[in-house]
Amino acid sequence: MVGLGFQFDLFVRILPELLRGASITIQLTAFSVAIGTLIGLFMGMARISRYKIFHIPSTLYVEVIRGTPLLVQIMIVYYGLPSLGLNLNQFTSGILALSINSGAYIAEIFKAGIKSIKKGQTEASMSLGLNYMQTMRYVILPQATRNILPALGNEFIALLKDSSLVSVIAISELLRRGMIVYSRTYDAWTPLLGVGLIYLCITIPLSRAVNYIEKRWEIHD
Amino acid sequence: MIKNNLVKRQKSKKLENTSNGNVMIKMTHVKKSFGDLVVLKDINLEIKKGEVLVVLGPSGSGKSTLIRCINRLEKIDEGEIILEGTNIYSQDMDIHKLRTKVGMVFQQFNLFPHMRVIDNVTLSPIKVKKVSIDTAKQEAMELLKKVGLGDKYNSYPHELSGGQQQRVAIARALAMNPDVMLFDEVTSALDPELVKGVLETMKELAKMGMTMIVVTHEMGFAKEVADRVIFMDEGYIVEENEPKELFENPQNPRTQAFISKIL
Repeated sequence: MVGLGFQFDLFVRILPELLRGASITIQLTAFSVAIGTLIGLFMGMARISRYKIFHIPSTLYVEVIRGTPLLVQIMIVYYGLPSLGLNLNQFTSGILALSINSGAYIAEIFKAGIKSIKKGQTEASMSLGLNYMQTMRYVILPQATRNILPALGNEFIALLKDSSLVSVIAISELLRRGMIVYSRTYDAWTPLLGVGLIYLCITIPLSRAVNYIEKRWEIHD
Repeated sequence: MIKNNLVKRQKSKKLENTSNGNVMIKMTHVKKSFGDLVVLKDINLEIKKGEVLVVLGPSGSGKSTLIRCINRLEKIDEGEIILEGTNIYSQDMDIHKLRTKVGMVFQQFNLFPHMRVIDNVTLSPIKVKKVSIDTAKQEAMELLKKVGLGDKYNSYPHELSGGQQQRVAIARALAMNPDVMLFDEVTSALDPELVKGVLETMKELAKMGMTMIVVTHEMGFAKEVADRVIFMDEGYIVEENEPKELFENPQNPRTQAFISKIL
C-alpha cells in the first residue's frame, strides 16, 4: 500500500471521516470569523480614535498579535490559561485563539476601510446633527464595509486555512483527521492530498462568493 | 416646513435697520489657525435674520473656514460666536442640536452614495429629530419637489448630474428646518450649464427669507440676491458693503484688485 501514490478507493473510504473534520474546521472558522469581526470592528475604530485610552491599547493588541506566531498564541491559550485557573476545552481554546488572532488583522482592515471614506462624508453627516456613533453606523461603516469586502473575504479564507494549526491541541478538525488516517494506514499521500482537496473545495467557492458580492455591492462615487 | 416658518418674514432690505433682536449670528474677535498658519485673524461679523450675506475673496483668504466655524466643523482658537443669543462654545450648547439649526451645503455635495435620494434627505430627520418615517418621507418629497427633483427620489446619487446632486444636498440640509444655511462654494465643482439650476434654488430660498451665508465666486448671484457682500483677504474682512457699491465702487485696494480680476 505504501508508495503507490493517490489511492482512490482509500480516499473514498476515509472521505466520511475527513468530511466530519471539515465540518469541525468550518465551525471553528465560522465562530472565529464572527467573533474576530466583532473584535476587529471595535479595535479598528479604536485604532483611529484620537483618544489615547482607545488608541494605545488597540495599537498594542494589533502589534502583539501580528508580531507573534499563531501557533504560539494557540498554545498559550490552551496550555497557558489553565495556569491562570482558566480551563477551556480544546474547541473553545481554538476558537478563542483564532478569534483573537483574526481580530487583529480584521482591525487593520476596518481601519483602512474607514480611512478610505472621504472626510466630506463625515462632515456632511456631522453637519446634519448626527453624532459620532450614528455617523459611523449609518454613513461610514456601510460604505467602508463594501470597500473592504475583498480584504475581509481573503481574511476569512486565510483563517479557514490557518485553523489547521489548532490540530496541535488535538481538535479533530480536517488536518488532524488526515493525520490520524496517515498514522493508521502509513499512507501519507492519500489522506493529506485528500485534506488539501477538501480545503480547496471550500476556499474556491468562498472566494467566488466574495467576488460576486463585491461586484453586486459596488458603489459609485 | 420651511415655507411656514419663513413666510412670516417677507424679505425686505429694511430688515437690517431693525433692532438687535434680529441678530442671527454674531462673531467677535474670532481667530483660528491650522498649526502655524493663521487663517482667521480677527473676524467681527454680524448677520441678521433673513439676511443673505455673500463672502468673497481670493482662495486661502479664510472664507470657507469662516463659515465652517459657525457649525463647529472647525473649532475657533479665540473670540466668540453667538448663534441666536447662545454662545456656540458654551457648556449648555449641545453641538448636535446646534448643527440641526445650521444647514450646510458643500462644494463636493457629499451625498451619501450608498443611499437613495429620499434616504439621504430623511436620514437626519429620522435619526436626529426622531420624526416618524412617514412624516420625514412626506416632508422630503415636498422639499425634493421644491428643488425640482420630485421624480428622482428613488435614484442613487451617482445616477444624477452634479447639479441635481447639489440640489438634493440643499434639500437634505433644509430637511432639518435650519435657521441659517451655509453654502461653501456650492457651484465651483459644477459644469457651467448646471450652475444655473442650483443658483435658482438658492434664489428661491433667499426669497422665502432664509438667512444665508454664501461663499461664492458667482458675481451675478451676489449682485442679484445678496443684501451685503464682505470681501476677505489674508484672514481679515477688508471691506463690506451692499453688492452694488462693493462691485462698482470698491474702497480697499485689495478689493479693487480682486474685483478688477474677476469682472
